[in-house]
Amino acid sequence: MIELKNDRLVFAFPELHADALLEVEFQRTLRIPDDGRTYPLPPGRGAFPLRHVDDFAREVPADWLRHGGVLLPMYQAEAMWLKFRAPHGYPFAVKVAAGKINAVTGKPWDDGLGRDPQNYVVHPGQPWLDGYVVTKGTIRQFVAMPLGAGYSAEEQITGRAEFGGLQIQAFPLHAGHWNPPPPVRRARLPFQAMPAAAPAAAGRGPSRPDMALGMGGSMKQDIYRDHRPLDHWDTANGSRCFVHLANAMVWRQITGQAPPTVPPTAKEYTQAGLPWFDYYAHHLEAVEGSATLASLHSIHEMAEMTGQPALPENASVTPAHVVPLRAGLKPGEVRQGSF
Amino acid sequence: MKELGEYLRERRLALYETDREFSVNRVAQRVGVTPSYLSQVERGQTQSPPSEERLVALADHLGLDRDVLLALAGKIARDLRDTIVRRPQLFAQLLRELRDAPDHAVLRLVREVRDGEW
Repeated sequence: MIELKNDRLVFAFPELHADALLEVEFQRTLRIPDDGRTYPLPPGRGAFPLRHVDDFAREVPADWLRHGGVLLPMYQAEAMWLKFRAPHGYPFAVKVAAGKINAVTGKPWDDGLGRDPQNYVVHPGQPWLDGYVVTKGTIRQFVAMPLGAGYSAEEQITGRAEFGGLQIQAFPLHAGHWNPPPPVRRARLPFQAMPAAAPAAAGRGPSRPDMALGMGGSMKQDIYRDHRPLDHWDTANGSRCFVHLANAMVWRQITGQAPPTVPPTAKEYTQAGLPWFDYYAHHLEAVEGSATLASLHSIHEMAEMTGQPALPENASVTPAHVVPLRAGLKPGEVRQGSF
Repeated sequence: MKELGEYLRERRLALYETDREFSVNRVAQRVGVTPSYLSQVERGQTQSPPSEERLVALADHLGLDRDVLLALAGKIARDLRDTIVRRPQLFAQLLRELRDAPDHAVLRLVREVRDGEW
């Protein structure tokens, strides 16, 4: 089952094992420039607010109610990454799709786990996912654009603007294969930076509030290969959820709540001397990228081809301050920068 | 306020064992109070409990549950109070009915994320 707690999706399988818990959080971040260079990891700037679609049944499109699930606000050209956390270290196989196109393989959604190519990530092991897996070691950042404008992987592959949003499905390891580690002393929590207050939304909103994920700049990121036998995953007991991306300009109309502030640009953030990140897990093998996804056009490429401006800015940046993070992040090692 | 004080002090001292950042002075500085005030709170010598904001800052900095700390101070979080105030009959009834229910019965009332057709 899935619960929504503190802006996180919490996948729990109490009937299988008390430790079987996975948290998925959607992190606000900087949009990295799409300039032919490959960038390190931008920081997380806090979780997007997450709400049940059922709580706004009268305000959301009928499709969203049919899908069930949750919604979060994104501005046009805003980026995001998915953060995974297993509080007890219990392993999960997690599938992530955007517009029902698998973000790791570029294939259409199906309800199972696959290998060759591996269509899921494993956590613990994979701390985050920032975008579409285009080559071994590189992703194209998840960047929101209006569904229907043609930028998303879904629209480029299927020719239709049907789903948008994100779809997530998680499968726990079979309880019989779970070896709990010895209990560790509880670590100190890092001091949290406070988020800024939101401005009022200006102007009229778009008619259709659905956003879809297009491809932004290139980022260095590995998707780690799963070496477990596939049948170690409990595929009879998965939980899945549709995460609707609502245009932030209409978030207040839908929920009555202010959307978060517009994020800083990569240039503003870097000029302030704030950190980017590099993640080292050299002992782990990475999967190959998806040729399908690599063949798609990024938002910037499409904007150049059509002459339609899509990104408010795309200035190149040289991240001078890059913090190395080692695999098995220690307490206090966070991918976070306050502005 | 004696229980609140003891709880805070015990936790702060446990953290101080491995990290000098958890001295009275440093913690007071981080949460925005004077060291002498924090000391008084720990010894249960204040007339009234610290504000919700200060208690939340203390909880977050010391890695304690916010609602537990507020409860020790005889408070409930503002958002909980607002929730009840917005639909008083519904929530008052719910809370009264569950008042003496065992933990497992209350925990069974989870709100699941609904999955539909897609």
